[in-house]
Amino acid sequence: MLAKVTSFGLKGIDGYCVDVETDVSNGLPHFEIVGLADTAIKEAKERVRSAIKNSALVYPAKRITVNLAPADIKKEGSLYDLAMAVAILSCDDENEIKNYDKYCYIGELSFDGTVKQVRGVLPLLIAARKLGYKNFIIPKGNSFEASYISGINAYPVSSLLETLGFLKGNVTLQPIETCDFESALAAEKRGMDFCFVKGQKVAKRALEIAAAGGHNLLMIGPPGSGKSMLAKCFPSILPDMTFEEALEVTKIHSIAGELDLAKGIVSTRPFRCPHHTASTVSLTGGGTNSKPGEISLADHGVLFLDEFPEYSRHTIETLRQPLEDGVITVARSNATITYPANFTLIASMNPCPCGNYGSVDRECHCSASQINKYLSKLSGPIMDRIDIHIEVDNVTYDQLRSESNEECSADIKKRVDSARKIQLERFKGSSNYCNAKMSTAQTKKYCKLDAVCEEMLRSAFEKLKLSARAHDRILKVARTIADLAGSENILPKHVAEAISYRNLDKKYWR
Amino acid sequence: MSCTNELENFLRFLSMFDLTESKIRQLIAAMNDDFSLKHFCRMKIDKDLLSEDAVYKMRERAEQARIDTYIKNLSDQDIILLTRFDERFPESLRVLPDAPYYLFCKGDISLLKKPALSVVGTRKPSSYGRVVTNRIVSKVAKQGIVIVSGLAYGIDSLAHRACLDEGGKTIAVLGSGFNRIYPPDHQGLADEIAQKGLLVSEYTPSRSATRYTFPHRNRIIAALSSGTLITEASIKSGTIHTKEFALTYGKNIYSVPGNIDSPTSELTNDIIKSGQARCITCAEDILSDYGFQSQPKARTKTANSAAIQLTVEEQAITSLLEDGMKDVDFLTKNCGLNIDDFQSCLTMLEIRGIISKLPGGLISLK
Repeated sequence: MLAKVTSFGLKGIDGYCVDVETDVSNGLPHFEIVGLADTAIKEAKERVRSAIKNSALVYPAKRITVNLAPADIKKEGSLYDLAMAVAILSCDDENEIKNYDKYCYIGELSFDGTVKQVRGVLPLLIAARKLGYKNFIIPKGNSFEASYISGINAYPVSSLLETLGFLKGNVTLQPIETCDFESALAAEKRGMDFCFVKGQKVAKRALEIAAAGGHNLLMIGPPGSGKSMLAKCFPSILPDMTFEEALEVTKIHSIAGELDLAKGIVSTRPFRCPHHTASTVSLTGGGTNSKPGEISLADHGVLFLDEFPEYSRHTIETLRQPLEDGVITVARSNATITYPANFTLIASMNPCPCGNYGSVDRECHCSASQINKYLSKLSGPIMDRIDIHIEVDNVTYDQLRSESNEECSADIKKRVDSARKIQLERFKGSSNYCNAKMSTAQTKKYCKLDAVCEEMLRSAFEKLKLSARAHDRILKVARTIADLAGSENILPKHVAEAISYRNLDKKYWR
Repeated sequence: MSCTNELENFLRFLSMFDLTESKIRQLIAAMNDDFSLKHFCRMKIDKDLLSEDAVYKMRERAEQARIDTYIKNLSDQDIILLTRFDERFPESLRVLPDAPYYLFCKGDISLLKKPALSVVGTRKPSSYGRVVTNRIVSKVAKQGIVIVSGLAYGIDSLAHRACLDEGGKTIAVLGSGFNRIYPPDHQGLADEIAQKGLLVSEYTPSRSATRYTFPHRNRIIAALSSGTLITEASIKSGTIHTKEFALTYGKNIYSVPGNIDSPTSELTNDIIKSGQARCITCAEDILSDYGFQSQPKARTKTANSAAIQLTVEEQAITSLLEDGMKDVDFLTKNCGLNIDDFQSCLTMLEIRGIISKLPGGLISLK
């Protein structure tokens, strides 16, 4: 007897159809799985057998062969358990399962017959919908994820018995209702609020610009000046995600198994802060399973690298290409996978190893060559990709205790949102969506300077000895500042402000 | 060949081998006034003075043709070799008890005879030290006084830089050979000084710096100028050598006072207290010693006259800065401007050269 049911596999963040072909024939009892399965799938035979037996069903004492087609792509994970169990049981006429091929199956089985949640359901369902499949049986634990996909019928099941009952018509199940993304957005709580940060006006303003234009930003300051705190507040002023962005992010988080299953979708921009001991692979993604790394998990969100020069040089340099292209291609011997990596980089560092260089009241103990060595860990190409550098200074005790009213994040976010709206309008039809990602041609087109601005920029380059690489960065940041001010043209004061965020071009890096 | 000429030629020959002054002095004494290469090759040389190996190597090269190619090689690299007997050799060095026998020079050697001021100090200046060095050096350099320093990190390079920016002339005295600039980061600065000023070294071009060469060259820095200015230095600083040399040679020492609790002003305050140095609060204090009429002090006045061209917003910032440098947080809080206007005003003021930004987020009037 032969039964063929449909399931899905993942390649990167995209899914493909996998046919689970099961043949049950007479012979010595045996269970074989073919079709480039990994260890997790090979072990499925024990789970499937125990699950069937412990559900008080009959496990056929025959020769069982399962093929996962297409047989030339390596498959991994435990999501085929349910499909295999249903196929085996369908081969037995006594079970009277007729319409098993109407559905696609995703789920892992436990020994007692429970269907357990698996990772990657959202990207699988999205891919399946694209391929024209409509009806799915998925683990109950994954139902929130599925609720954001419209146009499909996903039936949540909790056990193998329930699945059989549903297929035979003994149990009725309701497909998961489609959930509204807007409501998920509204329910979100994001990060810390800027109203708790006293003083630091320049830093706050720079972060506002970074949020509005998607610019990468570097903070330099002594230890304890509040760099990390500022960074943690940053998500609270980021513009809302669009549904498409949320789906892409959720896909990645789902594959990495980092998705909060109670929510089902990532509706806030992710904020990732890997420790500086992080390995290169953990940042870029890869490994035997080619899992997405931190930079992909930070897609459409923020990658915060605290103590930037402490990361290994090699790790920092691998960020070059993703910062430029917004994607990372991980090539491994068994697969080459491209993950999106469209993140805003927020980095922080001390001015020198001891942290007191340039401080008014504390002496720096580092030698000049130590300072140089520390700073030279950030190569020119990396600095090229960071639009805004600011210095963050120690806050005095008085400022800390002052009762002054600081602007709260919601107000800043309003300005950011309106600036982002202008950008979305501007870049309509192109793959770009914010000022920071403008191509050279776009920079030329949208960052036109009048004669006064041109003259000012030229004298700034001469007097302040800016390096040439600063030029385009200044234009892009000036564009964002103009957008924040609601101005169509870039005015001299916008350019002047943009220049003020290029401190390091003239000082530390000379 | 006269005796002096022969000696000069012999010194040129010796300059190939990086001997110390005392070795050269003893060698010359041992030669009994016959400085021909022939005599050098034949004479007996004490083993304590020069090892057999060294003597062998030197004699191997003791040919006039070799010396001529060596000099030509140097001049191909734009290096001028001045011996003590050259009339272009600075008088102020010649009279020293431990004067160098020869100097390698690269650049405008006429600067050696011009009135000069040495500027030395810590390798890690505070913001205060930076501002003060810049301010005083640029004013002094503007009057045509040559600024002498040692090309090191910190005050040294700041002084060179401030002088070059002002279009002034500067001499850098190296603790290494020309081809081994130390610190290597300052290669660019050294090249610029060779073009617009003068590089001086008593070491052969290929000699790299050691910890002894730096204090040693400090005597040249002290001797080349009639005064030595210390803008900021801690008690452990190498600046103390330069100060000692300057004292021994009877030069003026100028010192800029600092906060009494600032570690980087320990030495400067100390030497003012002990009476070794004159207390300097503005460039005019130094310039009067160089024969320039001291003009009535008018710092606040100049600030006011510049204020005429300032916008209201810019004035709000500069007026806060009139009594010294301030940090950014203080300014944003007290200037009453929006943060975006504040940032753009700051840049405009910086471009116009009215303020300067310092590390640590400090702002000061220039």
